Amino acid sequence: MKLAADRILSLLLLGLAAFVAVQAWQLEVPFSYDPVGPKAFPLILSGLLAVLAVVLFVRPGASGEWPTGALLLRLLFTMAVLGLYAALFINLGFLVTTALVSIIIAWLFGAAPLKAVVGGLLLAVGSYLLFTYGLGISLPTGSWIEPLLGSN
Amino acid sequence: MFDFLIQGFGVALTPLNLGLAFLGALLGTLFGALPGIGPINGIAILMPLAYTLGLPAESALILLAGIYTGSEYGGRMSSILLNVPGDAGAVMTTLDGHPLAKKGLAGPALGLSAVSSFIGATIAIIGLTLFAPLLAIVAVKFGPAEFFGLMIFAFASMSAMMGKDPIKTLIGAVLGVLISTVGVDSGTGVLRFTFDMPELYDGIDFVVMIIGLFAVSEILLMLEHAFRHDQDGEMAPIGRVMVKMSEVLYCKWAILRSSVIGFVIGVLPGTGASVASAVAYTTEKRISDRDNTFGTGDMRGLAAPEAANNASAAGSFVPMLTLGIPGSGTTAILLGALMLYNINPGPMMFREQPVVVGGLIASLYIGNVMLLLLNLPLAGVFARVLQVPRWLLVPSVAILAFVGVYQLHSDLMAIYLMLVIGVFGYLLRKFGFSLAPVVLGFVLGGLMEENLRRALSISGGDVGILFQSNLSIGLWIAAALVVLVPMFAGKLKAKFLPAARPS
Repeated sequence: MKLAADRILSLLLLGLAAFVAVQAWQLEVPFSYDPVGPKAFPLILSGLLAVLAVVLFVRPGASGEWPTGALLLRLLFTMAVLGLYAALFINLGFLVTTALVSIIIAWLFGAAPLKAVVGGLLLAVGSYLLFTYGLGISLPTGSWIEPLLGSN
Repeated sequence: MFDFLIQGFGVALTPLNLGLAFLGALLGTLFGALPGIGPINGIAILMPLAYTLGLPAESALILLAGIYTGSEYGGRMSSILLNVPGDAGAVMTTLDGHPLAKKGLAGPALGLSAVSSFIGATIAIIGLTLFAPLLAIVAVKFGPAEFFGLMIFAFASMSAMMGKDPIKTLIGAVLGVLISTVGVDSGTGVLRFTFDMPELYDGIDFVVMIIGLFAVSEILLMLEHAFRHDQDGEMAPIGRVMVKMSEVLYCKWAILRSSVIGFVIGVLPGTGASVASAVAYTTEKRISDRDNTFGTGDMRGLAAPEAANNASAAGSFVPMLTLGIPGSGTTAILLGALMLYNINPGPMMFREQPVVVGGLIASLYIGNVMLLLLNLPLAGVFARVLQVPRWLLVPSVAILAFVGVYQLHSDLMAIYLMLVIGVFGYLLRKFGFSLAPVVLGFVLGGLMEENLRRALSISGGDVGILFQSNLSIGLWIAAALVVLVPMFAGKLKAKFLPAARPS
């Protein structure tokens, strides 16, 4: 018997409520004329969240379809690709990272390899031109390219 | 009394603003037409652009509002042609729209929906022009206690009206409010929930939050969708987009009734197009479906939700412009965009920002005409957009999300935070949450706490001040009523609100 997704969620929310309450309780408040202070509001919220979580536990809804196996792997892979995109965005520059990421995502969405490569390259170059010249946004060019250009 | 409108037309008719209204209408129709990219995503992606392009506040708002109203027009395309709603507000449009297309009437169906959208929006914009100044006069009397009551009312009406699961709506709202408490407490300077990360001292940035929540989670959902159903349904041939006068006249009562319903529901804080179109459709079905033709391609069943969702879009500007309380998830984002410009939404906005308010309302009139002119002859062209393959669409969303956040912050932390929030948004949607309450909570959270604390410091900590004036008592009673009445009329509600895809 699988535990309903909503029940797991409810336990997570209870944990969150407790965490918020403890964190708020530990805030050190300097003297002020504000009769409420910064603690009360988060405490009220955590109480409310706890009550709602209990209601959810008692009356869980349908569990829905959760990704497993190959799909879960693809989702994790996509997030990893996006994380890598972020990590390399500035050092490698917009053009290179965007082309790579677009090619990978296009391939993940079922494009044939050649289509993915052409589409990804066109997307990267096209969006670079649009943002830089059309909209005047400065995008990272990448630290590797500067020595090549022999720039000052 | 209508000085603001005359002044507003002066603002909206400048070449820049006319161009932006047109651009908004065009982009909005495109975004609405693309399955999976509804108004919220469109605005979330373009908001940072509008901001960094250095547009003045009224121009940015005109562009974003154009996208909002435009996407309500565009949402019908995939509903009618593919039976796939472009966003939650277009779910009801599939019920009679797609059967019409299967009968070979796709062209007339697109034409009729454009005309009903136009009429619905026009009636609601007139309503906005008439009611907003009146409400603004009342709103000036609101003190902090009344504002707090009003926000309670907003959350109550949202949980009562939205989605089939009021508990999750409330949990979503509480989570949104909690996220808004991250950062320096403005009252005392105490750091809350920042975990010693300097990036969080200013709180979670609005743009990062919205783009993560909507755009990044959408990428994951689209991947899942592509994995499960390899292909979208076949597209019905469109033919010539035209609508006969007799067809419009046949639907006239459906359109008029639904426009009024849409406007009223739009005005209610917290409820937007998805509720409006559902209520309008079921009402129309009850009133005029004598031969059981609704659901099989009845023109009135198409006209009703289309008139209503456009009317509610315009209606949701009423509470946003007069009270600073958004009428829908999308206006919550527009409100956030205003805050980026340091404009404090609220009852004083009508008086202090006549250029912004008037310009926006005037541009709604102009944009609505543009949308009709764009959508009647060009429906076939927009329908092509539906055929943009996912493998090109998804990387584009990723690029826009990254550039959107990067240009505001030039900071890797913000991008990582966006990705984390994206996973959070994806999980919420998988658990069956709507994201609109989360956004509403996030936008209103700060105001809610501020007003609560201000009220209590006026009274020296006495909670009684929250229930002192007639106005605030009325708001609390109204909040209780919107929650309790549907509970007793539970069966009725189950009919009103069919399962909609959370968005």
